[in-house]
Amino acid sequence: MSEEILTRFGHALRDAGLAVGTGRIADFCRAAALLSPDDLYWAGRATLVARAADIPVYDEAFAAFFGPPVEVPRQPPTVRIRVEVDAQTALASPVELLKEKSFAACSQAELAALAELMQRLRLAVPERRSRRRAAARSGAPDLRRTLRRSFRTGGEPVDRAWRERRREQRRLVLLLDVSGSMDAYSRALVMFAHGALRSGRRVEAFCFGTRLTRVTRALAAADVDEALRCAAAEVVDWDGGTRIGEALKAFLDEHGHGGLARGALVLICSDGLEVGDPELLAEQMARLSRLAHRVVWLNPLQEDPAYEPLARGMKAALPYVDLFASGHSLASLEELGAALAHL
Amino acid sequence: MTFGSVDDVEQALRAESYLADRGLATAIFLALRMRRPLLLEGEAGVGKTEVGKTLAQLLAARLIRLQCYEGIDAAQALYEWDYSRQLLYARTLQEGEVAAERVAALYGPEFLVERPLLAAIRTGVGAVLLIDEVDRADDEFEAFLLEVLSDFTVTVPEIGTIAAEEPPAVVITSNRTRELHDALKRRCLYHWIDFPDLEREVEIIRLRAPGVSEALARSVAAAVARLRSLDLVKRPGAAEAIDWAEALSLLGAESAEGEAARETLGWAVKNREDTARAEAELLGE
Repeated sequence: MSEEILTRFGHALRDAGLAVGTGRIADFCRAAALLSPDDLYWAGRATLVARAADIPVYDEAFAAFFGPPVEVPRQPPTVRIRVEVDAQTALASPVELLKEKSFAACSQAELAALAELMQRLRLAVPERRSRRRAAARSGAPDLRRTLRRSFRTGGEPVDRAWRERRREQRRLVLLLDVSGSMDAYSRALVMFAHGALRSGRRVEAFCFGTRLTRVTRALAAADVDEALRCAAAEVVDWDGGTRIGEALKAFLDEHGHGGLARGALVLICSDGLEVGDPELLAEQMARLSRLAHRVVWLNPLQEDPAYEPLARGMKAALPYVDLFASGHSLASLEELGAALAHL
Repeated sequence: MTFGSVDDVEQALRAESYLADRGLATAIFLALRMRRPLLLEGEAGVGKTEVGKTLAQLLAARLIRLQCYEGIDAAQALYEWDYSRQLLYARTLQEGEVAAERVAALYGPEFLVERPLLAAIRTGVGAVLLIDEVDRADDEFEAFLLEVLSDFTVTVPEIGTIAAEEPPAVVITSNRTRELHDALKRRCLYHWIDFPDLEREVEIIRLRAPGVSEALARSVAAAVARLRSLDLVKRPGAAEAIDWAEALSLLGAESAEGEAARETLGWAVKNREDTARAEAELLGE
């Protein structure tokens, strides 16, 4: 098959959204040349696909390009989130007042100003002992440095060096409810996730409503508007219903159980208004609490002092939550940031 | 040893008791011919690590395994100096004049402790480098790995640059606990190993556990397929199917049903919630 056709297929895949670079297409051409035409499908699978999630897209594109065209209706994602930055009005709001203000009551401009402040928010994530060692005043002998120092004293290890296990931040996993009932808060919480992602390396973020979407990559952009736009494009169920149990299950099955949640600090931001089965939620929360180091639940409804966690979902989840806090305003998030270290 | 076609690879793997589907055989063939690392993903127990081991046997090469874990660094993956021996040597030098070349000898090859990556580079084409569970290592380690995998040279400041004349075959496995960097993926050919279909599973069981009868293998494969269709926390892989069939065979069972299945279910399902579900499905409780 001519390289031109193969290259065109590479471009078709690129149009379908796969990250197919020129290098990959070159590999594909080489692979195709080594194989019989019958194995063309596998030549592409090995060279053009780089993750399991891309396989269906590849299959579809391959069938459309080489096989009989297959009609697959694709629904454009409905994007509801929009951030308009109006710096002028934003600055008019005194910072302290803004910090206390509930996200639900914030205007677009105020949210934009909050985004700025959130970039500076620091979360004190609890630490754990790492396998790596670093120089210390006491601990286990550090032979490497002891040897170096011994040269100064004619090969006699007089001045001995020590090393100790390093301490490292635990992984922080954010699970954000972006369903309809959280509408007033979800934008601020995604901004919060963006800030958290920018502040540390070991942070992962997911959004959920009726399904789960990993937004770690999308939120990686430095610019908050850009990051929100990317996230909005990936999450397709903004403002839908909430199936926390199912979303948690999807998280644990696909990511958490494999290692992402193990020993991590998991932060769930949701109002707990579960439309799914509360029993499933309880079961998944139990699973999560066994894997995670600590589970924190932020419920903006707590903003109201009279709030009691009576909703079926919230009630089912509560026994497995280590810290139940509000997170409805920047001040409450800051408070949380400080409290985390003691968990 | 070189392979002329994908069929050759399939047959050679089969001769080593590894049943690969067409996709995997193609990926292995391409990886060997194009001299690129092969990145394998798939659920636990589908035989990712086994590919590396089998490939080593097949190529009559030395298997060099680098098991990744959180916090692994160059000292554990590449090389380290044997500090205790160096210290002892330095002490023997302390008597009398210290000649320059004797100090230089302190950082000679005899004090270098070879770790898997350096060993693979030194062995070159005679080795299969298996980098297991790369997703467990940190991001920085991945970047370091990428550097080594792109040109198969290592520079030890005190000794010089060590390069592989011909790069070894490289198999990388990942359990997808985190997304690997694109740069690393770009270096590799990729294959997702799926659960085998019923017929192939029967064959795998028979090949790996020769004591198991055809009927029992078929019954186990069918039961395992049913278990996989359940919503389990950990779905049993081919490895579990083989173990389970072997256990049943040792107990003299002829099928994966009844009391014997209940007693040995722990070989296939290793999670308390899953066990309850599996029992309900298989034993109708």
